[in-house]
Amino acid sequence: MAAERTNVSNDLIWLITRNQNSYLVRRNAGGGSQFSRDPLNLVNKHSFKYAGYANTKAVGIQGAENGDITVTTKKPSNPQQPGKNQVTVNYGPKTATRKLYKGVANKTAQNGYRADLREEAVARVSALRRSQQPKKDAPAQKPRGAKARQAAEKDSE
Amino acid sequence: MASRPTVSIATAEGKPSGASHPLPSVFAAPIRSDIVQQVHAGMAKNKRQPYAVSEKAGEQTSAESWGTGRAVARIPRVSGGGTHRAGQAAFGNMCRSGRMFAPTKVWRKWHQKINLNQKRFATASALAASSVPALLFARGHRVAKVPEVPLVIESKAFGTTFTKTKAAIALLQAVGAGEDLVKVQKSKKMRAGKGKLRNRRYRQRRGPLVVYNPETDGKELVKAFRNVPGVETSSVFSLNLLQLAPGGHLGRFVVWTSSAFEALDQVYGTTTTPSALKKDFLLPSNSVSNADLTRLINSSEIQSVLRAPKGDARTKRTNVQKKNPLRNKQVMLRLNPYAAAYSKQKLGQQKVEGGKPTRAAAAFEQVLKEE
Repeated sequence: MAAERTNVSNDLIWLITRNQNSYLVRRNAGGGSQFSRDPLNLVNKHSFKYAGYANTKAVGIQGAENGDITVTTKKPSNPQQPGKNQVTVNYGPKTATRKLYKGVANKTAQNGYRADLREEAVARVSALRRSQQPKKDAPAQKPRGAKARQAAEKDSE
Repeated sequence: MASRPTVSIATAEGKPSGASHPLPSVFAAPIRSDIVQQVHAGMAKNKRQPYAVSEKAGEQTSAESWGTGRAVARIPRVSGGGTHRAGQAAFGNMCRSGRMFAPTKVWRKWHQKINLNQKRFATASALAASSVPALLFARGHRVAKVPEVPLVIESKAFGTTFTKTKAAIALLQAVGAGEDLVKVQKSKKMRAGKGKLRNRRYRQRRGPLVVYNPETDGKELVKAFRNVPGVETSSVFSLNLLQLAPGGHLGRFVVWTSSAFEALDQVYGTTTTPSALKKDFLLPSNSVSNADLTRLINSSEIQSVLRAPKGDARTKRTNVQKKNPLRNKQVMLRLNPYAAAYSKQKLGQQKVEGGKPTRAAAAFEQVLKEE
C-alpha cells in the first residue's frame, strides 16, 4: 500500500478478504476447491501470492478471440487512483510466441517487479496461445469390416 | 503522521477541479472486520418484526391419555366417536395436527443492544475501509475507472437545481461509477422463496452510496438519486453501518460531496481531539503504527535484533528414502570410495590367482591325525 496509508497494507487486505471476496469461487468438488476470477490472477487460484487486487504489484494476462493477448500490470506508485493504476500492453496475433514470452517475462521480472510470477506468466501466455490456435478437424473414419469396405468401394466407383 | 495525505476534489465531469482537501482522520482508523461484522450482525436484527405461531395451534382438542393397558402409546388421544379424528393422537410435536415443538413466541429477543462505542468504532472502521480500492474491488464494486478513492465531487455540482435523475446518472457516469450502475442493473434477479410474496420480489447488488451534507448541499439530490437502481444516499451526519458495510463486508463504494467530506473531521474528530457532534468520542487508534508486515519484518529495527540462523546454509536432510547402494552407484560411492577403483579395475570379475590349492604333504596329515 501507499506509504501515506499506515492503517492499510497488502497483508491486512488479504486477511480481511481471504474468507470472502467477489472474485472467490468455492466448490465442494475436488475436496473444496478455491479459485479466483480476478483478472489480475495468473493461475486463477485463490491465494495471496496470486491475488491481483490485494498486491500492489500484480500481473494479469488475458486472451481475446482474435488472437490478441493483453498484459496488464499495476503501478505501485498510485494505489488510490484505480483509473490510472493499470498499464496494459497488447500483443497482436502475429507476434512471435517466443518474443511474447520474452516481453512478458521481462515485464514481470525486471526492475524488481514480481520475479516470483515470471514462470506463471509465461505459462499463461503459452496456454492462451495454444487455446487460440484453430482446432484441427478429426480425420474421416476409415471403413471397418469387409462389408463396409465393399460399400465404400462401390461409392467411390 | 508528519503530513496528512490530500484527496483531490473532482468536478461533475470527473476531471480534477484543482482543489484538494486533507484526508480526514477517520480514514486512518483501524480497519477491524471482526468488530464491523459483530456490530453489523446486531444492527441487522434491529429492524425485525415479531412473528409467532398461534398460541392455540395444535391445542384445540380435549384429548386425554388413555393410560396403560390398552396396548397403545400413552400420548393424549382425541375423545369421542363418530369421526375419524376420535382416538387419534394429539398435542405432541410428533403427532399429525399436533402443536409444533417449542412454539415460537412473540416475546423472543428480537433486538440487540450494541454498545455505542462499538457502533462508532465499526462505522469509523467501515469508513476507513471505503477508502481502500482493493477492498472495493473485493466487495465487487466496479471502480476500475474511478479517478481516485475516496471519490470526492465538488458540492457545486449538486446544489438546489440538482433534482433530475437523468442528471444524477450522467454525473455518476462522468465520475467513473457507470460500470457499477451497470453491474447493479444486470444483477436484478427474482428472489428465491416466499420473500417474493412479502414485498421483497427482486434482489440486486448495491451500487455507490452518495454521502452529502444536508446543511450546504440541501436535500434535493436525494430525490435525484432515489430512482437509480442500487444507489443510496446518506447524510454525513447520520452514516449507517448497514449502508457502509452491507452484509458486514467492508469496502462500500462511497461518493462524497466535497462539503460532506470536509464535515467528516467535525463529525468524527481525530484520535486526540474529541468529535464535535458525538459526545465523548475519540477516534480509535491503531495498535501498530505500520500495518505492512513485510516492511516490519525487513525493517532494520527487527533485523538487527534477530539471531543468526543456526546451522549451515546446507543442512542434512533427514527422513529421506533409503537408497540401495548395490543398485545406486552414487550412494555406493558415498559409502565406499574404493568401489570406483574396484569396478574400474574389474577386480570383481578376476579369477582367483594361483589356481587350486596344492595338497599338503602326507607327513602333515600324519601329524594331524596322530593320537
